[in-house]
Amino acid sequence: MLLRASGVTHNRAYDLSAVTGATPGDAGVPYGRLLVEFAEAVLGDDEEVLDHARAALSAAIGPAGLVDAGAVVGLFNAIDRVADATGIPLEAEKREASADFRAALGVDRFDVGARD
Amino acid sequence: MSEFYASAPIPIRDDLAAAHDRAWVRIGRPGTWWDGAQRVAIAAETRNAPSCALCRRRKEALSPAAIEGTHDSLSALPEIVVEIVHRVRTDPGRLSERWFRGIIPAGLSEEQYVETVSIVAHVVAIDTMARGLGIDEPALPQPQPGTPSRNRPYGAQLGGAWVPWLEPADLSEAEADLYPSGRPAANIMKAMSLVPDEVRGFFDVVSYQYQPPLAMRDFSREYRAISHAQIELLAARVSVLNQCLY
Repeated sequence: MLLRASGVTHNRAYDLSAVTGATPGDAGVPYGRLLVEFAEAVLGDDEEVLDHARAALSAAIGPAGLVDAGAVVGLFNAIDRVADATGIPLEAEKREASADFRAALGVDRFDVGARD
Repeated sequence: MSEFYASAPIPIRDDLAAAHDRAWVRIGRPGTWWDGAQRVAIAAETRNAPSCALCRRRKEALSPAAIEGTHDSLSALPEIVVEIVHRVRTDPGRLSERWFRGIIPAGLSEEQYVETVSIVAHVVAIDTMARGLGIDEPALPQPQPGTPSRNRPYGAQLGGAWVPWLEPADLSEAEADLYPSGRPAANIMKAMSLVPDEVRGFFDVVSYQYQPPLAMRDFSREYRAISHAQIELLAARVSVLNQCLY
């Protein structure tokens, strides 16, 4: 949701389908494709793919950018676990504001309330 | 200047290194419901979980509940704690309220559960970053002596989550610093508020590994070497990969 909010502020329409992996593009974000490939590689288990993704991203955005990218991937890999292990719902205002793109992206199936 | 990542082959922001240093110190100390040795054992088990054969079979199964067996553990924790650590570490996208409701009758308190989840989250945050950057995982801290404080916040009650939490209106003076002022407390901040010190600790890491609360929605400037849009693209892709709606 903050990605869309960032786009609204800067008058940019980001392609959120890149978030689900439905399209392989850059989402309209600078170096978006490299960022997505890096995130996928970090959470994957292929060391060669990760080495390649890390080197490509570092070449594009520099070591300081790589550190911040790695930090964000690590942090959200943890935050997701806090959210899922405690069963927190989306806040009402976020649920309402994100209803359209959640439906479009098909991510409502991840709702903790829908799990058996 | 923090020495936490002094030997890393790429420079790590000093504020980020210092935040991880503080997190490690906290993990080694007695917490609210676990002592230092138990907290470090939970951290060690978090690192051990990906090599568990039962977790791998469950991950591949249509339903994790259909696969029975015993976890490959380090044998330092009760089996029910190992189950929590391994499930949260290896298959968070399929945790369910039914699974959670089975944990408590098995001999664990909700408070111990929340503190366990927090320790797993700390280790995942730091170790995943290390993997991403191609640097060594930091050695786990040495356990410090002492006893847990066993401080349950008086105002905690069931709300929208599986675990009781603290609404801002129910904070006592001791918890007055828990949520940022000037805006509603997000559910992710309330999630672990049954153990207030874990909220303080985890969000200390969040502020430096992601962004401080007020920077998240301040799109007028950038606070990191990557932009808000780049940060949020990464965050969203990771959450989809983890099958996390929140």
